[in-house]
Amino acid sequence: MPALPPVRIPGTSLQKGRGLALLVAFLGLFALDGLLFRTPFYPSIVQMDSSTGAFELTLRREQQAQTRNGDNLVVTLGDSRFAYSPRLANQVTAQTGYVFRHAGVAGTDVRSWYYMLRDLDPTARRYRAVVFGVTDYDDEDEFFTPDDDIRALHYAIARLRWSDVLEFALSFHSRNVQWEALRGASLKGIVYQNDLLAFLAKPAERIRRVRIERRDFDKWTYDYLETPRSMAGLQIDWKAWKVTFPPGLDQDQQDTVNGDLMRAPAPQTGRVAAFRRAWYGRILDRYRGSRTKIIFVRLPRGPIPRPAGLVRKKSATIREFASLPNVLLCDEHAFDSLEHPELFRDGMHLNRAGVAQFSPMLAEDISRMLGSAAR
Amino acid sequence: MLFNTTQFFIFLPVVLALFYTSPQRFRRYILLAASYFFYACWNYKFIALLLTLTAIDYTAGIWLEKVAPGPRKKALLILSLSANLGFLGFFKYYNFLASNLALLLRKPQHAFFLDIVLPLGISFHTFQSMSYVVDVYRGQQKAVRSPIDYALFICFFPQLVAGPIVRARTFFRDLFNWRPPSADDVSTGIFLLTLGLTKKMAFADQFAKVANRYFSDVAGNPGMATAWSGVLAFGLQIYFDFSGYTDMAIGMAKLFGFHFPVNFRRPYLASSITDFWRRWHISLSSWLRDYLYIPLGGNRHGQWMTYRNLALTMLLGGLWHGASWNFAIWGGYHGALLSVERVFRGDRPMREEWSWLYPVKAVLTFGLVLIGWVFFRAADLPQSLQILGQMFSRPGGHTLLQHWHVGLALVALALAVVEEKFEWFEWVIQAPAWAYAAALAAMFLCVEIFGVIDASIPFIYFQF
Repeated sequence: MPALPPVRIPGTSLQKGRGLALLVAFLGLFALDGLLFRTPFYPSIVQMDSSTGAFELTLRREQQAQTRNGDNLVVTLGDSRFAYSPRLANQVTAQTGYVFRHAGVAGTDVRSWYYMLRDLDPTARRYRAVVFGVTDYDDEDEFFTPDDDIRALHYAIARLRWSDVLEFALSFHSRNVQWEALRGASLKGIVYQNDLLAFLAKPAERIRRVRIERRDFDKWTYDYLETPRSMAGLQIDWKAWKVTFPPGLDQDQQDTVNGDLMRAPAPQTGRVAAFRRAWYGRILDRYRGSRTKIIFVRLPRGPIPRPAGLVRKKSATIREFASLPNVLLCDEHAFDSLEHPELFRDGMHLNRAGVAQFSPMLAEDISRMLGSAAR
Repeated sequence: MLFNTTQFFIFLPVVLALFYTSPQRFRRYILLAASYFFYACWNYKFIALLLTLTAIDYTAGIWLEKVAPGPRKKALLILSLSANLGFLGFFKYYNFLASNLALLLRKPQHAFFLDIVLPLGISFHTFQSMSYVVDVYRGQQKAVRSPIDYALFICFFPQLVAGPIVRARTFFRDLFNWRPPSADDVSTGIFLLTLGLTKKMAFADQFAKVANRYFSDVAGNPGMATAWSGVLAFGLQIYFDFSGYTDMAIGMAKLFGFHFPVNFRRPYLASSITDFWRRWHISLSSWLRDYLYIPLGGNRHGQWMTYRNLALTMLLGGLWHGASWNFAIWGGYHGALLSVERVFRGDRPMREEWSWLYPVKAVLTFGLVLIGWVFFRAADLPQSLQILGQMFSRPGGHTLLQHWHVGLALVALALAVVEEKFEWFEWVIQAPAWAYAAALAAMFLCVEIFGVIDASIPFIYFQF
């Protein structure tokens, strides 16, 4: 064997020092991540057409709206299906006394709404009512499982605190999604990565756009007019499980019908019920003892609603909540009259005419449930 | 199990913990078991192949030592090398030869094809194994008596799948005289592991996205600027990918008390192609020099034989990377460049001194290397020619690189230049704890912000 080179005696203290340095480096990583992404700076320059951007702009808009409006504020939360126009709803404010604001964001679910509400209403007393739009008071499991919808991480990322990390991550169902949530909630840079790289590609343009968006977002959204296109002529033969599309529908419109209305019944696992209990439960806990009413509204379900009895639903979490003192359920059939192809733009969203009818109806129904606005 | 996966970062600490908490006599068994487990995670069926090659060369080593020099000894050597090259040839080159034979016989291209899966890292461990057998034959290495030790030499997991190609004397020196890693080793090991991870995830994988976009649709990305940016992206990808892997391998080995040779020395700062090959994949180029170029005659038989030997060595070096004409052309291209340099330089030793001309030479060399990468990365010869046509067409197209890609490349260049001149890595490794921790934290942050985390992009050299 060749002659051995001299071997240095291990320097134990330096080894320990390096081990400690590694630990310090990890802590340094979290500190740098915190400095960049847990301070208000980065969320303020996130692009609007991202999940985080839409969520943050909505939150900011509603926080500002609180300062402009009085005590009789009603905030609604939902996903894109909760398509109503606060501007139209507020045309009846003179009669009802209530001002409607919408903090819903397309694609979100109750997990994200919890974090939205926590920062929108830190004292849990700001609103006269918090209204949630749901598609069903009963719990129906679909193939899409909301408890594993990682989009919540991207919507609520700027709202997540250190104390939320573990609870938030464990609220997901599967291990790999839990890990992704844990990783992202701990090191927010991972979640912001795509946005940050886009920012680095064109920083000046981003700053300019963000400035415009922050200035005009309220106007754009408050005055937004839904598309007039409709599903008029749509026919579904439920017995033959056959849909007939009217001429002129685009692929997206057809996809929403096939994907939502014509979806095959899924095995009823109880996951939706557990998810609803967990997250609405947390919201209801925050508002326990508050003057704020929690109201659930069953939204118009579609241009032609799925027949009852396709699935044997095993539970009705929202109905169970109705027994709590400050929880109210809007009449389940209050908006059945809107479930017509002429009032929908696709298989799940109201169109302009639908929104025009739904908005004042919603405002009147909610106001009636709340009673007099005078206190 | 890739080095840049969560599983690996669970595997490594577990193996380290088992290694250091076990009595010393069990440690090599732990490393061997961990290495086979690591390999089995990819495909357990090929463990049998690994064991077969190990057994052949282990036995060959012992016999070679016993047999007196002469035809019998030579026959033994040839037998062992044939077994290695036979397995390598079958798995790696059979389909290449079959398709060319089919072409020659005017048969469909897949007429003689077999459904062969290339065993992970076969090119690396067969070369490592062959060098051991040749060294024993030459009397430069004693045959290893313990099959466990020999098996560990072949399958030690940090370098099993993509090198560096470690010489037997280096490995066994560390194994037979094992000492706990020194403070320097721990410091360097952690640093290289982090640096390698950063190079791979934050640099290589980001450039890979650009390169993959370009090479997957060359026709859809026309123009000179587009072509150069796509090829540049690949040039950066392959450097950061392979040197990142090597850094991690060397770093890990250090943590286990093994000292692997340096495999990359800032190759893109090379001032000539000769210099480039002294800096790029050093363990392969020195292997080719010692076991191919010099046995072929090296520069001992006149100018023309030197050029022939250079070209042949590089051609075979190119084919070592993969079974395709493109790799042969890539190797031949480098062989030709080395020969041309040799023509101009003559027998004068190469100078690497920095002068005002150095940056010009470095840029020129880098440009030539980039042209070579076209053959290395393109799907086939027509695509290579199409890309080269675009690169040397009239100005047009658009760069595929974003500002931040350029920023990353410039930061890397600046760090490389500073390392070349001032050896700042070495300074950081020896630095006070706060500076060392700050450097690690900066690399972690770089991985967090730029690292491609959800799409695990395999190391390029895993396919070889």
